[in-house]
Amino acid sequence: MFEARELMVFYENMLALNNVSLECEAGRIVGVFGSNSAGKSTLMYVLSGIMLDIKNKEEMRGGERISVYGRIFLNGEDVTALKPHQMAKRGIILCPERRRIFAESSVLENLKIGAYLSTRSQTRENIDYVLDLFPRLKDHLKRQGGFLSGGEQQMLAIGRALMANPQILLLDEPLLGLSPAYQEIVINGTKKIRDAKGISVIITEQYARPVFPIIDYAYILENGSSVLAGTREELIDNPDVKSAYFGV
Amino acid sequence: MEILVYGIINSIILSLIALGFTLVYSIARVPNFAHGALYITTGYTAWLCMNKLVGFPYPLAIVLSIGITAAIGALIYRFILIRIRGMEISEIIATYAIGLAILEGLRWGGLRGMTFTLPPFVPGSMDILGVNIDYQRLIIGGAGILIFLLLYLFTHFNRVGLALRGIAQDERAAMMLGIDSDMTAIASLAIGSGLAGFAAILLLPLGNIIVEAGYNVLIFAVAVCVIGGLGSWGGTILASFIIGFAQILTERFLSSHYTMVVALLAIVITLLVKPSGIFGKQKELEERV
Repeated sequence: MFEARELMVFYENMLALNNVSLECEAGRIVGVFGSNSAGKSTLMYVLSGIMLDIKNKEEMRGGERISVYGRIFLNGEDVTALKPHQMAKRGIILCPERRRIFAESSVLENLKIGAYLSTRSQTRENIDYVLDLFPRLKDHLKRQGGFLSGGEQQMLAIGRALMANPQILLLDEPLLGLSPAYQEIVINGTKKIRDAKGISVIITEQYARPVFPIIDYAYILENGSSVLAGTREELIDNPDVKSAYFGV
Repeated sequence: MEILVYGIINSIILSLIALGFTLVYSIARVPNFAHGALYITTGYTAWLCMNKLVGFPYPLAIVLSIGITAAIGALIYRFILIRIRGMEISEIIATYAIGLAILEGLRWGGLRGMTFTLPPFVPGSMDILGVNIDYQRLIIGGAGILIFLLLYLFTHFNRVGLALRGIAQDERAAMMLGIDSDMTAIASLAIGSGLAGFAAILLLPLGNIIVEAGYNVLIFAVAVCVIGGLGSWGGTILASFIIGFAQILTERFLSSHYTMVVALLAIVITLLVKPSGIFGKQKELEERV
């Protein structure tokens, strides 16, 4: 059970997240939908602990003042104040927006860097699993990450996150800029990951339609507030949701 | 022939000097201007171990002094640089100040004159391709190539080495995968300082341990890195060979007086023609959406 309670984030005086609470039970796929600047990425940064690093660096430089409130719990343990690498050690892994592949390292090296927390045998096992999940990566193992296409990079980013043995996988806009064919590969892959490994997934997107078939529960963010939440069935019949996020 | 042999040796010397600087910059993004000071510190520590203290055997003194220098590097990060991480100007000022403090402190502490020397590992010389060359320079060549190989293997096949490269490319993305950026920065400073020490132990037997050598080493390291492109490994080695041969040629046809000018001139030309250096980070791998 992964739980965030009453998260509030301010960039200077601007409210980026307003009292957002979120729950994700083990083995669930939870969607977070919202338009640009709704606070999706901010939410992901807070959940993965990256926000603390951003905040510290800004403070050190005398830059933007960032305030973060609220608590985060993983299986009952309060993980709010943990650094990103400690979060990762507990299995909370963020696969960031725009993928952030290690562009100068080969595909295989990207995966190996992701395996920093794994033992040798786990690494071997996970590499096989990832290549099974996304067979296209097999053809490019020696290729530099930066020379892959956007869709391949996204597969690599998810694969890299899997190498770290996640318990909670945070996918920040994994479909950004992908063709419908690649979107389907990524979405199916996500479902397979959950089904096979029981990994919980929190996935953000602007546009809900491609992700909707695989989610169990969803939150809708608007201007930093969670305006609506419910199971897939509840949301799919809601007229507001339909017009805003399905383009119907 | 002489130009070729000595050019290669001189290039390897330069890349040994620059290697630690490049490593620290590429991983921790810290331009370590204390590099030259750490270089001299190693030589002086080794000298102290052998002559002033108990009179350690040479190999032990070498290992000990490199270890101490690596520890100093790690401590510099842990207690000073960690507070100003990410602010390049402050990092330059801080590391330069540390370097000055160490070097001038050593001078004040008695490191003056020509009495401080380390013996060559193996005295004597031999002929290669008709060129007379001493064993120390041969060892430098061999050890230089060996250290490149070791570093390559470390950064491509070792778990920690791969983590260092991850941090070097995208610090935050690496953090998300469980890599502790402060630990890797400490490790990179320790390794980089250790490399400075390693270079010192190899190179100082060719001359005297003098404070000025610390400044020269820093200038050479910066020159090589600027020309090769900051943080680029391939660039560092290529630039070492360019400057290395340029220096040997000037020495041969002009006078050894001008070797330092070559390095400085190369910096100026690079900054005028291609400010990012030969292999400087271009935007060619721009993200694809």
